[in-house]
Amino acid sequence: MNFAASWAVPLVWAQYFAPTEISFLLAVKWFLWLAVAFFGLYPLIVAYMVWAERKVAARFQDRIGPNRVGPLGLLQPIADLIKLITKEDIVPRTADGLVHLLAPILLIISAFMVLAVVPLGLGYLDSDTRQWRGIVPVDPPAGLVYLLAVSSISTLGVFLAGWSSRNKYSLLGAMRAVAQLISYEIPQVLATIPIVLWTGSLSLVVMMNKQLEYGWFLFSPPGLLAFAILTIASIAEVNRTPFDLPEAESEIIAGYHTEYSGMRFGLFFLAEYMSVFGVSCLGTVLFLGGGTLPFTTFPFLTILTETSFSYILCNVLSVSLFAIKVLGYIFLMFWIRVTLPRMRVDRLMNFSWKVLIPLSIVNILIAAIWYEFVLRPPVHSYWNIPLLLFSLPIDANVVEGWLVTLVLVLLSVWGMLRIFRGTTSVPQVMPAPRVALRPTAAR
Amino acid sequence: MIYLVFWLISIFGLAMALGTVLAKNLVHAALYLIAFFFVIACQFVMLEAEFLAAIQVLIYIGAVAILILFGIMLTRNVQGDETTTVLWPARIPAAVAGLCVVGGLVYGIGAQAGLHNQPAWSELAQRPTSAPAYDKSGKPLPSLRVRAINDMGRIVGNEMMTRFVIPFEVAGLLLTAALVGAIALAQLEGSEETPRPGTTTSAGVTTGGGTPPPGPESEPVLTPVSEAR
Repeated sequence: MNFAASWAVPLVWAQYFAPTEISFLLAVKWFLWLAVAFFGLYPLIVAYMVWAERKVAARFQDRIGPNRVGPLGLLQPIADLIKLITKEDIVPRTADGLVHLLAPILLIISAFMVLAVVPLGLGYLDSDTRQWRGIVPVDPPAGLVYLLAVSSISTLGVFLAGWSSRNKYSLLGAMRAVAQLISYEIPQVLATIPIVLWTGSLSLVVMMNKQLEYGWFLFSPPGLLAFAILTIASIAEVNRTPFDLPEAESEIIAGYHTEYSGMRFGLFFLAEYMSVFGVSCLGTVLFLGGGTLPFTTFPFLTILTETSFSYILCNVLSVSLFAIKVLGYIFLMFWIRVTLPRMRVDRLMNFSWKVLIPLSIVNILIAAIWYEFVLRPPVHSYWNIPLLLFSLPIDANVVEGWLVTLVLVLLSVWGMLRIFRGTTSVPQVMPAPRVALRPTAAR
Repeated sequence: MIYLVFWLISIFGLAMALGTVLAKNLVHAALYLIAFFFVIACQFVMLEAEFLAAIQVLIYIGAVAILILFGIMLTRNVQGDETTTVLWPARIPAAVAGLCVVGGLVYGIGAQAGLHNQPAWSELAQRPTSAPAYDKSGKPLPSLRVRAINDMGRIVGNEMMTRFVIPFEVAGLLLTAALVGAIALAQLEGSEETPRPGTTTSAGVTTGGGTPPPGPESEPVLTPVSEAR
């Protein structure tokens, strides 16, 4: 157990040691964990996400999906990888070679950098502040801003891909993609503001800790609305159906990655699925507690003793919970993909600017109301709600908060959709030439 | 060690800045500018201000650079190749002016020269602040510098809402004016162009503008045939 503990220590305790106290051996072990995760684990997760998507889509469409290459088709991603690596990279002669190479690299950089601040588990419990440090490569105090900043670099990669191909379809796809991406970035950012308001910090590890105190942030009307807005905006940010107009095969050939083949296309593919994984991790940490069970600190504080075995058990448990939640979120994204048709580009833009942005701003106000009702240091409720008579273990503040904010959330959603229905443009088909049904000339 | 990193990053940043002004292709110049923005973010990190580094990337690379590229995209010169070339002697005055500015800055920063009768600019960082020095229970909080490094978002927010609220609001006003102006321009253009038959423009501008003008298309086309009999 000593050998295993000494290798598990950097993973769990990496956030604990100040930079001057890390011995060289510890740093080497930490680097090896990072290398395994970033070069081995995450690409493997992405490859099997592709497999899972094909199987899920197949089952939704009443067929089986890949089942020839290996048992259950499990070697299909490996076959696809070999195919992509061995294919020829065709670059158009007039294309801007360096920028053509740079574009998928920017996308991959953005997708990987998002995963650097997401806490995958609980990590080490700091004894004086009673806060979990999180299993995370780095936990900057402004982690959420960093995450949103690096996910906005992917917009640049998409534009450069379309521009450098010297192809009108690619450029058109790139323009639409950039318009979509910058439009949906705003609701994505605004939907995370309620969480920042409730936790008072921009660090994702602090947000994970606060959900141990307050319960998952999903279980509140403004939290639910923010989760919905974040999910919709994230699906648009990663260019998935119903927002995949930029790469729609039936619309503009393949949009911004028309002129990419072989491993360069493989990099686009990898970057897209990695981004899906990244936004799922973000949504899980912000709203679903990221490794904890709702409303309780069980079983972590009960299992935890001073032995390193208990630490490892705690972390294995929290990482498994995190994995289950992320898989559920990813399944939700696959489910939406196979169910919904593609949105038309002007409806897509209308929806973002005229519905999601006002709704997310109103949601910030509702989140402030929830904060005042529920999350402030406990003040006894101003009037006695009969629930207390039945001695249910529900805080009266929570009930009041639910009553008020649920009404406000439903009202604002209904209101926004009413306004949206009034402003959307419907293309009017030209009226057919009116043919007078006169009797023909005398015959 | 940190000085070596600083020198390397700064030289790289200067190379990117030179690339911005010397590149022949417009989009390449924009890319060099983006690399320069990223180098500025690295400088912020070296100054222990990673919140500002993240904001720099988010605003400058995520929004301003995209805006520049959008601007290029909407012109005729999308490929960026049709730039004017200048003979090199014409660049000499610009180089001289640039070097004079650099000389002035290096002298001023190095000698910590301030305005007449005022302390040097570098001593402004020690002005008193309105951030609290004791927390609610009376315990002294760590020094402002420590708090700023550990929780810069909170400190910046505090300063922006207390001491610097007027510049903050003025900046917001400026952005609102820009937004209103952009929408006004877009509305103006939207009402001037004649809509193509078969589509309508979006809300607010379309009244009768969407229906095609009644013309020969709406007349039945079968009458000539029946009259020719």
